[in-house]
Amino acid sequence: MAYAANAVTPDRQRAELVALSAPAVAFTLAMIAFPVVYTVWLGFHAFSSTGTQSFVGLGNYSKLVADNEFWHGLWVTLALYVLSLVLQLLLGTWLALLLFHAKRLPGVVRSLFISPFMMPPVVAGLMWLVILDPSIGAANYILQRMGLPPSDWLASPIWVIPTVAMIDTWQWAPYVALIILGGLQSLPPSVYEAAQIDGASAFKTFRRITLPLLLPTIVTATILRSVDLLRFFDIIYITTQGGPGNASNTLNIYGFRVGFEFFNIGYASALMLTLTAIVFGVVLAFNRLRGAVAW
Amino acid sequence: MTGTPLSESWINRLNIVQLVLAGFLIMVPTAWMVLSSFKPSFEVTAYPPTLVFSPTLENYVQLMRTTPFFSYAVNSLIVTLGSAGLGLLFGIPAAFAVSWTRISWPAILTLAARMAPGTLFLLPWYVMFRQVGMIGSYTALILSHAVITLPIVIWVLLPSFDNIPRSIFEAAQVDGCSITRILWKIALPLVGSGVAVAAILSFVFSWNYFLFALVLSNGDSKTLIAAAFNFVGEGSTQWGALMAAATLIALPPLILASIVQRWLVAGLTLGAVKG
Amino acid sequence: MSGNKFATRVAVTIVALAAVSSAAGAADFDWKKFQGKTVTFLANNNPVSQALLTYKGDFEKLTGMTLKVDGYQEQQMRQRLVTVMNAHSDEVDVFMTLPSREGQQFAAAGWYGDLSAMAKDEAAKDYDYAGLSQALLKAGTFNGKLTSMPMNIEGPIFYYRTDIFKKCGVDKPATIKDVEAAAQKIKACDPTITPFVSRGLKPALAYTFSNMLHNIGGSYMANGKSNLCSPQSKEALDTYSRLLRDYGPPGVVNYSFQQISALYRTGRAAMSFESSNELRTVMEGGERLKDTGLAPFPAGEAGQVPTAIGWGMAVSAYSKQQDAAWYFVQWATSPEIQKRMAVQGIAPPRPAVANDPEYRKWIDEEPVRKQWQAALDVLATKGSSEVGYPIVANPESRDFIGQAVQDLVLKQKTVDQACADADKGLDALIAQK
Repeated sequence: MAYAANAVTPDRQRAELVALSAPAVAFTLAMIAFPVVYTVWLGFHAFSSTGTQSFVGLGNYSKLVADNEFWHGLWVTLALYVLSLVLQLLLGTWLALLLFHAKRLPGVVRSLFISPFMMPPVVAGLMWLVILDPSIGAANYILQRMGLPPSDWLASPIWVIPTVAMIDTWQWAPYVALIILGGLQSLPPSVYEAAQIDGASAFKTFRRITLPLLLPTIVTATILRSVDLLRFFDIIYITTQGGPGNASNTLNIYGFRVGFEFFNIGYASALMLTLTAIVFGVVLAFNRLRGAVAW
Repeated sequence: MTGTPLSESWINRLNIVQLVLAGFLIMVPTAWMVLSSFKPSFEVTAYPPTLVFSPTLENYVQLMRTTPFFSYAVNSLIVTLGSAGLGLLFGIPAAFAVSWTRISWPAILTLAARMAPGTLFLLPWYVMFRQVGMIGSYTALILSHAVITLPIVIWVLLPSFDNIPRSIFEAAQVDGCSITRILWKIALPLVGSGVAVAAILSFVFSWNYFLFALVLSNGDSKTLIAAAFNFVGEGSTQWGALMAAATLIALPPLILASIVQRWLVAGLTLGAVKG
Repeated sequence: MSGNKFATRVAVTIVALAAVSSAAGAADFDWKKFQGKTVTFLANNNPVSQALLTYKGDFEKLTGMTLKVDGYQEQQMRQRLVTVMNAHSDEVDVFMTLPSREGQQFAAAGWYGDLSAMAKDEAAKDYDYAGLSQALLKAGTFNGKLTSMPMNIEGPIFYYRTDIFKKCGVDKPATIKDVEAAAQKIKACDPTITPFVSRGLKPALAYTFSNMLHNIGGSYMANGKSNLCSPQSKEALDTYSRLLRDYGPPGVVNYSFQQISALYRTGRAAMSFESSNELRTVMEGGERLKDTGLAPFPAGEAGQVPTAIGWGMAVSAYSKQQDAAWYFVQWATSPEIQKRMAVQGIAPPRPAVANDPEYRKWIDEEPVRKQWQAALDVLATKGSSEVGYPIVANPESRDFIGQAVQDLVLKQKTVDQACADADKGLDALIAQK
């Protein structure tokens, strides 16, 4: 459209838009530029136990390519990521729709529905550690009372990933639900009315109308969950520390231990930067999707 | 209307069943935490789990006695409100600009800090803030936590802004409104539910974030979440006090969410204009 | 000299003498030398520091200094310390450290201030340096430099249920073979009871495993190489993992002190091998007070070589006031303070304090305490502080030990495979500079 003569000129408009995003951009750059540059520098160096450093170029990265633990960690990270993300998106959307239709629910009760992610992660981890303990936990007690076989939960190399994904889903599906609820609230009610007049079934309304309109919000939730899930740390660190064996040793756990416990700072920096690059790639991919689903 | 009253009530009932089921799955662990905080410490790990017990306040008493709980809470509140406020202040305009221009790199840049493991920032930030003598200051903590809140605000608000039809803005521009004015006077009131969600999330993330405070604070500016860790350790594990601390820590976000829920339910202004 | 003056002089002398005796030799030691200074103490928020810090006010009154305490849970404390030290910051003056774990690592990085001279020349008369456990002092000495002063003594000890033993006709085990026999008997006698529990969590189990390794006569290193495949070391790996697998609780591979103490405290385990520090947690609620026996871990072919370690107090190499910091360290590790900490249940790293009448009175209050102290006495005299490999990369070495044990518990490898794989990784660690 043509701008009215008395309205804002394109130049002025551009300047205004720049001014609107400048504080956020400048702030972020000020905070992360030094850490990123510093870590990149560390990643090009090897450190002896006495702290003297030597330049090794890409040495840390070629070590990484040859490191089985890295590839294993990548696999664990991705498995946990996909499983948790799918569960959280499905259950989060389901919960959001339930809450959306339960308009008469008092605010406090609605808050309780989304309360798990308000619990400090360290507490959530410890709590589940007790509940899921194969010998003293409530989970197996209940299973046995119901006549079901007990499980080793976090102590089984096979079940540890699904179990961690379950804990994380309990905590974060409500968070996804909250984001989607915000999106649902901003959808125009007129579309529902139109659908109802057309006699569409509830499911059809959801699939044909609500879901497409919600997609941008779901993509937002996906991106926000992705950045956290790919850096999975808290719950694993508290419950299994990467075990049993290395069955839950995510890249972030591995990088942390290499750096802070084993003092191999150069290699840890390379690991962390590689992980950052992976997260970055995933975010870029989903961001494209965001453009595609905008309406 | 084709939905007969019968099927409507059937759908309603189905919804209630689902709600109860979801509520049960979600709240049982939370209830376990709250109940445990009123048990004698050794009973938290009792087997079989006890449901009937004589409630005690000893965990809360002990928590207050061994931890300067309230001064930590004040620290947490200052840092959380500061960083959530900063996140909203910088994030709202940025989200609007990104939505307007559809140029998304600023949004991705702000998220970059959330793509790297938190531990990557510990040493550089410690060095950085030490240079300027800000270790132990609220400012350092607020700035570091704003790195977390800012992208949340931007990304939560993006779809909300995207949902506003351009025609509204264009009409305003014809009337000679600047973009900034459009943002504050027209767009922002339309995305109330998005702002509510962004505010809750920023608050919770900042409130519960521990890692940065670990190196950027000192004994005096320590945040509340640090207190939770004090009850787990060899020879000093106190499940009861831990659960009491967790319950108290979870309360402020819960209260905030309950208050803000009203906007969430009421934020339907947009429906009037779109479609 | 007039009579008057003489009288004054006598009076002054008497007053001075009185002051000397009341302050226990403080007259020629100037506790107020650093009056007005502030010392920052990074503490691991465990019972040791908790007991110590109940006397914080006394230190400030005695010295006129201010003590700023920054307390965190162990892992968080270490994370903060690593950051502060890597930045060469003087923010921390004194910190708590486990020489058996990170001693070589921190010493190599140059983070410890040298306490050798100060412990000799700058100590108050009644400090009684020689009265500290020589083994623990040695464990805190690297390249001839004394890096930390011992705060307590601790180690894994054997907790067992006298009532279950009686019911199942089991005698108190004298050897490791007896432990296994007892476990077998208990398993048959009462299947609802977990016969034996100890650490199975990968990074945590070196603490208890080392004790068994040394008792059996195995060693971590021989001739500069990893030695897990020697017959004795293999037997230790095999026995430890077999006990956990066949007689331990399900999910033992995640077990550390939290789960072990909870399981034993609730009466669901007959034998537990866990830290002496956990006594308080285990006795909470009082259910285990009357039916628990305590001892050092039963002997193997090489007798009893219990693991005995302790927290130490170190002065940061980057502290700008090491001399003032030392005043806090020597106060905190003095016989007087350690005596007061002892009656709060912190086992003293000084044999003399362990014999103190007041402490003995506290010990005699409960039979369990008596056995606890008796076990710690054995730890103090026969103990080895070797937990994991005696190399700079000790923390990482514990991972390999843990992996080998877990592989066996989960039946993923044979003993020969597990020890060979561990040796391979450990040899690379040992070679690391």
